[in-house]
Amino acid sequence: MGFDVNVVFQIAGLGIIVAMLHSVLKMVGKEDYAHWVTLLGFIVALFIVISLLSDLFQKVKGVFLFQN
Amino acid sequence: MNWLGAVLILVSTTWIGFELAKKVRERPKQLRQLKVGLQSLEAEIMYGLIPLDEAFLHLSSQLKGPVARFFLEVSNRLDESASSVLEAWEESLAGLSDASAFKKEEIEILRQFGATLGRHDRENQQRQIKLTLSHLERELAEANEAQVKYERMYKSLGILTGLLLIILLF
Repeated sequence: MGFDVNVVFQIAGLGIIVAMLHSVLKMVGKEDYAHWVTLLGFIVALFIVISLLSDLFQKVKGVFLFQN
Repeated sequence: MNWLGAVLILVSTTWIGFELAKKVRERPKQLRQLKVGLQSLEAEIMYGLIPLDEAFLHLSSQLKGPVARFFLEVSNRLDESASSVLEAWEESLAGLSDASAFKKEEIEILRQFGATLGRHDRENQQRQIKLTLSHLERELAEANEAQVKYERMYKSLGILTGLLLIILLF
């Protein structure tokens, strides 16, 4: 179980910061920017998750297909 | 070492945010200075009959900040080199737009005003000053509104962007 807990905190922090950015931008009436920021934050979080998932699949491949 | 980098990133983005906020905050102040300056220019022209270079020198001693430097520069150029008021005004205006927090609109208003300087008799000159003052009044209202709206936004955006970068790079 070499699972790194830091990544979970990283994603959580990303979510909090992006939510705060969204509310600040929405407060001054720049709602279009607010939506772009949220979307970009979502994409970055997805990239982090995808890299974790690809680790998982590599491991599954290694166990069942006897590669590596 | 990680922490040192994180602190550096946070400090620099916060600083950028505060600088932008300062620019938003300075604009109404400088606009007010400019209005005061033009009003006393009107008085000097209408009642004092003072030549323009001396009038600008007086103005620069009454005001402060980039606006005072602008009037001082115009006065110096009129004394030394410039062949016309328009030329001295335009050259100093380029310096003002770098040194002050004014936007393009204010600089454009001032450029149009400079084109009328020293070409008319007193009554027409006074009318031009009044016109410029009313333009500046409108800009001042807009600048005040922008200050209320954007000053806090720039500050919090600076800090939040720093935190975001730190989390992404960590």
